[in-house]
Amino acid sequence: MKFRCLNLLFLVLLAALSARAEVLTVGPEEQFKTVGEAVRFAAAGDTIRVQTGIYLENLIIEKTLTIEGVGMPTIQGTGKGSVIEIRAANCTIRGLGIETSGGNLVEEDAGILLMSSGNTIEDNRLSDILFGIYLYQSADNKIRRNRINGRTELESGERGGGLHLWNSPRNLLEDNIVEAARDGMYIQSSSGNVFRGNRIYNLRYGLHFMNSDDNSFEDNVFFDNIAGAAIMYSQRIALRRNAFVHNRGFSSFGILFQDCRNCITEENLILDNAVGIFMEAAKDSVFRRNTIAENDVAMQIFASSDQNTFTQNNFINNISPLQLIGKGSSTTWQDASGGNYWGDYEGYDLDADGLGDVPHRIHNIFEYLEGNFPRLRIYLNSPAAQSIVVAERSFPILKGSNEFDRLPLMSPVKIGTGFVPPMGSGGAKWMLIAVSAAMLGFAALSFKRGLKR
Amino acid sequence: MSSLTGGHSPNGIIMEISSILTIARQELTVAIRNKWTGIFAFVFGSLVLAISYFGSVTAAEIGFQGFNRTTASLLSLVLYLIPLVALMMGTQSFMSSEGGDDMLFAQPVLRSEVLLGKLLGLFAALVTATFVGFGLGGLVIATQTDANDFVGYPIFVGLSLFLSLIFLSLSMLVAISCGRRTSAYGAALLIWFFFVIFYDLLVLGGSLLFKERTANYFIFASLFGNPVDIVRVAGLLSLKGEEVFGAAGAALLKFLGGEWRAIAALIFSLIFWAATPTLISFRLLRKQDI
Repeated sequence: MKFRCLNLLFLVLLAALSARAEVLTVGPEEQFKTVGEAVRFAAAGDTIRVQTGIYLENLIIEKTLTIEGVGMPTIQGTGKGSVIEIRAANCTIRGLGIETSGGNLVEEDAGILLMSSGNTIEDNRLSDILFGIYLYQSADNKIRRNRINGRTELESGERGGGLHLWNSPRNLLEDNIVEAARDGMYIQSSSGNVFRGNRIYNLRYGLHFMNSDDNSFEDNVFFDNIAGAAIMYSQRIALRRNAFVHNRGFSSFGILFQDCRNCITEENLILDNAVGIFMEAAKDSVFRRNTIAENDVAMQIFASSDQNTFTQNNFINNISPLQLIGKGSSTTWQDASGGNYWGDYEGYDLDADGLGDVPHRIHNIFEYLEGNFPRLRIYLNSPAAQSIVVAERSFPILKGSNEFDRLPLMSPVKIGTGFVPPMGSGGAKWMLIAVSAAMLGFAALSFKRGLKR
Repeated sequence: MSSLTGGHSPNGIIMEISSILTIARQELTVAIRNKWTGIFAFVFGSLVLAISYFGSVTAAEIGFQGFNRTTASLLSLVLYLIPLVALMMGTQSFMSSEGGDDMLFAQPVLRSEVLLGKLLGLFAALVTATFVGFGLGGLVIATQTDANDFVGYPIFVGLSLFLSLIFLSLSMLVAISCGRRTSAYGAALLIWFFFVIFYDLLVLGGSLLFKERTANYFIFASLFGNPVDIVRVAGLLSLKGEEVFGAAGAALLKFLGGEWRAIAALIFSLIFWAATPTLISFRLLRKQDI
């Protein structure tokens, strides 16, 4: 009994000693010349402070440590495997430049590979890496303010994911910037994560998402990717205040929903995409207060999509509002308080209640036919197609679309979309001004010459 | 080709550039002085201005000045108006050659030189008129929109010029093959109606006779039979990019054998459409007794 008490006392003392975390400094002039030495020497709970410099090493961390850079030192990997691999829980990596991971897609070589939970990864700069930050069965992490630049020299399919989650629930990913990866955020079989304020651009899929329920996306920007967000085989996904801008290419889209249920899409800006919203077998989902503008096709909906609701959205200046593939849809376009704002609505509001008195037919006969005969789109903007539309409106012989917004809004819904797209390079603008001035100059000269006697 | 070099013409001289240019210059002066160019410039210019301005005043709603509405309206304006004006101006000018140009034909110049000169002069007049509109519109678009790619606009202007050249050339053919002024105007209107509206309706109807795949090829091939279609498709490609046509666009590119071949095919077909009516006119006029 006595022996046991002593033993306990010893343990408590040991714990107290080790809890007094030490700070180990790494730098050319310091006690430790490489981070690896410090990691080997350190006890769990210690902090390793890395001074400015370039450190050529890969790190494997198997005890709880905080590694923080002073003045953004660079950890340059050997070009094999992941640069930093974290196997112990509750580690912190802060303020490091991380470079040169391996190039093996199958081995999933990453800038930072997380295989434990409860870690904090913040303010790092990752470049020349295959995957950015890879969460491998890793829960409850905070990934914040990291900047990830993939390998631009590779085709987008040959790169890795920027923020890559596999079997990793309940993480918070906030204010990261990802560029030139394969997919900006790849999420597979990972539930209950929050993605907030990330900026994803210049890559393949901004968000690639499979079998992951209860995730929430807020204030993210998906700009200039081949596709904005592809959300597949998942339920209860919330998208709020995100911007999906300028995602263009064949079969490109702002947001794609495939086999999803009970998703909520609110106050997003879906701008200048080839297809704004694409839905196949998406069910029981709600789209509210989004602005869908300047897309080639605002919505492409397969008839397999069921019981979705669109209200209070702004549809402005889309070339085609809706392509419906299949027989018809059970989409609801209004509730008791009203429907959506359609920039091309031609009705009127005599009782001035803010709702149009005439139901708005969402797509005309030609756009309706286009859904099932894609080749007809070659006649986009053609006088022939326009004459068919006019003829059908005056003499409705053909059976047209049944998609009506019965309570269209007369004025657009005010939605505070703060995102200003970083477009419009000055050079192109001045080029057009120069060309226009030249045209006007030619015309003036020509007129002057002709009128001279 | 033989008429171009004048190889079979009675005096057997080669076409002279200088005389063509002299006639062209005179034709341009006439076209500008008879006010038609000015009137068309005014109408076209105000329409383009209105389109480019009202097409880009949605910024307050979405915080972004887009290009979509402008694109659609500009395209419609060009597709309807330019063929009509070119046909009317052309018919009027070439029909007056019955009397007014007797003096020209009496000069020691080839008939084909007279025709080519008049064609170039009229084309210059139409270029002048449309440049007023496109120039003003371009300034509005450059200063008002947030789009980042303006290369499409000059290309689109070039396509519109091609369209006016093609329909001037068609009007020349009409004027030469029709004896009387009224029948020439009637024929010109018919040609406008046929190419702008009726042709596509015919093809659309015809495509229903074929199965899916064949129908695609039928429609794609038929695009080249109508200069208005060529300009419309090429215009949308340059202003919006190939993805605007969706799956049909991908199928069209595949049918034409890739992007560069598609561009080449479009350009060659435009040249074909401008050159063929002109060459036929040369031939017809050479055999005519003036």
